[in-house]
Amino acid sequence: MRPLLRPGLLAAVLALAGCAAPSPDGYRGEIAALTAGKTAGVAAALPAPDADTGPLVAELLAQPLDAGAAVRIALLNNPGLRASFATLAISDAERVRAGRAPNPHFALGRFAEGDRLEIERVLSFNVLGLLTLPWRAEWQGRQTELAKLQAAQDVVRLAAETRKAWIRAVAAQQSAGYLRDVRDAAETGAELARRMARVGNWSRLQQAREQAFLADATAQLARAEQARVAARERLTRLLGLWGTQAQYALPERLPDLPAAVVEPTEVEAQALRQRLDVKSAVDESRYVAQSLGYVRATGVINALDLSYTRNTTFDNARGDKEAKRGWEVELPLPLFDWGQAGNARAQGLYLQSVARVQAVAVQARSEAREAYLGWRTAYDLARHYRDEIVPLRRFINDEMVLRYNGMLASVWALLADTRQNVLAVNSALEAQRDFWLADTDLQTTLSGTSPGALPALASSAAAGGEPQGH
Amino acid sequence: MNRRNFFAGAAAGMAATGVSRVALAALPEPAMQAGNATAPPLVPPNGRPYQPVVTLNGWTAPWRMNGGVKEFHLVAEPVVREMAPGFKVNMWGYNGQSPGPTIEVVEGDRVRIFVTNRLPEHTTVHWHGQRLPNGMDGVGGITQPQIPAGKTFVYEFTARRPGTFMYHPHADEMVQMAMGMMGFWVTHPKARHPLIDEVQRDFCFLLNAYDVDPGSMTPRVNTMLDHNIWSWNSRVFPGIDTLNVRHRDKVRIRVGNLTMTNHPIHLHGHEFTVTGTDGGPVPPMARWPEVTTDVAVGQMRQIEFLADEEGDWAIHCHKSHHTMGAMGHDVPTMIGVDHSGLVKKIQKLVPDYMVMGERGMADMGEMPMPLPDNTHPMMAGQGPYGPAEMGGMFTLLKVRREQPPGSYADPGWFRQPAGTQAYEFGGSPPPAASVAAPAQPQAALPSVRKPSGHSGH
Ligand SMILES: [Cu+2]
Repeated sequence: MRPLLRPGLLAAVLALAGCAAPSPDGYRGEIAALTAGKTAGVAAALPAPDADTGPLVAELLAQPLDAGAAVRIALLNNPGLRASFATLAISDAERVRAGRAPNPHFALGRFAEGDRLEIERVLSFNVLGLLTLPWRAEWQGRQTELAKLQAAQDVVRLAAETRKAWIRAVAAQQSAGYLRDVRDAAETGAELARRMARVGNWSRLQQAREQAFLADATAQLARAEQARVAARERLTRLLGLWGTQAQYALPERLPDLPAAVVEPTEVEAQALRQRLDVKSAVDESRYVAQSLGYVRATGVINALDLSYTRNTTFDNARGDKEAKRGWEVELPLPLFDWGQAGNARAQGLYLQSVARVQAVAVQARSEAREAYLGWRTAYDLARHYRDEIVPLRRFINDEMVLRYNGMLASVWALLADTRQNVLAVNSALEAQRDFWLADTDLQTTLSGTSPGALPALASSAAAGGEPQGH
Repeated sequence: MNRRNFFAGAAAGMAATGVSRVALAALPEPAMQAGNATAPPLVPPNGRPYQPVVTLNGWTAPWRMNGGVKEFHLVAEPVVREMAPGFKVNMWGYNGQSPGPTIEVVEGDRVRIFVTNRLPEHTTVHWHGQRLPNGMDGVGGITQPQIPAGKTFVYEFTARRPGTFMYHPHADEMVQMAMGMMGFWVTHPKARHPLIDEVQRDFCFLLNAYDVDPGSMTPRVNTMLDHNIWSWNSRVFPGIDTLNVRHRDKVRIRVGNLTMTNHPIHLHGHEFTVTGTDGGPVPPMARWPEVTTDVAVGQMRQIEFLADEEGDWAIHCHKSHHTMGAMGHDVPTMIGVDHSGLVKKIQKLVPDYMVMGERGMADMGEMPMPLPDNTHPMMAGQGPYGPAEMGGMFTLLKVRREQPPGSYADPGWFRQPAGTQAYEFGGSPPPAASVAAPAQPQAALPSVRKPSGHSGH
């Protein structure tokens, strides 16, 4: 531990204290470095505090919005992230203030008694504040480091959230398209049924059954449309868009599955090495450990004021004055509080921070395993849909066409099978969507921070089996 | 005419069944048949002479004389029968085909039939319509133990009365008949018979029905009536051979029904008489002229006529669904249904969709459309003037002056003499108004509406 008093240090502290100044870019450069490679697969720049991001956002919105552009816009435009940077600026201001030496106090007293007047001038200085300045400056600097890590995690999380919202919005839009096809098939069947009944080939019962299919398909489509709008609005909020900007176009389909996936190795080690929340907890714990010396040093003497007093007394009756000078040291007497409570608190804080490191590490390891399994399963499932279920369904539909050709099956059986086929394709889309969501979660989990609750894979409608009749 | 693989591959097959060499020495080798064309009549090489029959798309089993006994060898086994070109069905049959070979004997013949079972389950043979000792009747469990898989049993009896008969299993018969186990049996009279005429042509076939799901190969044995393949000797038109005769030949056709429904067999251009049933020749005073005779389930009919009208005359089952190939029985009637504006919508979802049935089903015969694999089209027959729009229990009696006696060769399509064919009317057609418009049910509804129990509530 450093000695309390050392003239050279004091001089250096005084010099440094005057130099500390707020970061001009609000640490955006440092945060960009911290989050490099962790923002959902795109190299996204953070805007300067006073930058006008409007033209760049407008340019990105000019074409259908891909996932990368969405992340870039969110990092430029998201109001929450702006708030997060403001928080960082506040922390930075605290740091700057903490780095300045405490101002001296000047007190002026005027006391009159009969013909006597006493003027008291006291210049006092918090010596301990000056002596502990390096610790406090360093402490606050560390708080800023932690705030930076916090802001970096916010950036990573926002990027991941935006990418996931984009995936959901595109998938929901595609899904609504498929359900429109299902509705069209039902509508055609119902219209044909109406004409069948009109010329007397079908009973009203048979017609009503086709009508019921249509009614059901219409309800499904309404739900899908609502889901489409909801998913898109969620993305719009993350992008911080409103007005005409909110009328951006999305691509028609999700990106294809990767032909082959690169298997991540040692996922737990990677998460522990790269995650910002792990780094934050470890740093915090280290800082707390370092601060124990300060607490120990100031445990007994936690205040030391030095004051210089000049006391002038005027005796008006006698017409003379008298001046007294002197200095005064004020410090608490360690009679009752010998600093044990403060030390115990610091010890408690330290243990708390160590426990937090353990908790974060356990969480990171577990999340890495879970995210990896979720990712692998989602990939296998999506491929299973793409390579097995959809081709099978298509084959079944082709065979139904052949049966229709031979008048072995009716056009309604064909349309019913077509509905099944479209629903299978929709399930495949959902599996593809789930893969990209899992992929985003895996990236976040291994290199960024905790993704929050990992989603369970959505279970889809059965895709196999024969089409049920009417 | 196809090649017969008499005695071919029998030894290997026998060895596989594990029959002892002693038994093997006593067994006549089974004659196998690989093809499905109509074999020429088998003129008896020994024994009492007779006028042989021709089995439509089938053949007659050769025999061996052994101490005055005619010995046949039937092998019950899984076979693949081509029911029409390109349409193959997994069946159970005898000696390579389903139905099995026709057995032809003469009244009074002592007959010994070896039956080897190469099916996966036990079987028996019932000799339908024969007078025979009870223990030879082939009812499994009742008159004999079933023939276990891999074993050979011997049936022996005297063919006591002339007539038209069949053979089929009487063990798990629902399955075994649905799979095609059956054959024809003809006992010829040993001398001129007062009730049995001499004929120049004698055809025989069995009526059979299968339920083969489009795209599959094995019949569904649990179907009782809703079969989709209606066949004669397990062949379907246009895969059935024609009955080719010389003008003024006396023709006999023997039909046996082993399906689960009756079939009214109808002949065009001639009248015939039913001269025999399972029970034997019909007395002349009991015969009457017909153009259609109903062959009930489990029955035989023997019809005779003088083929004195030249031409290509249809002979078919009169149940119109039975002259169709595979068809969906749940397909609703589409006649008169307006498809306008919907075809494009359906094609958007099903690109290969085409409207069918809007005007009727004749479209099916006119435009061949891709079907599931191994599916006999609903209507596949083609004639010289266009699609015949048929595909099941249908063939032609071809009567020709130039047909040589005894030749069963197909003379090709008949050319009608000038002025003897239906022709287009040259005048103006009747005004359109007289053509009946399709009924408009909604217009008719108020007048036919029944009082509703709910009205006035
Ligand atoms: Cu019939």
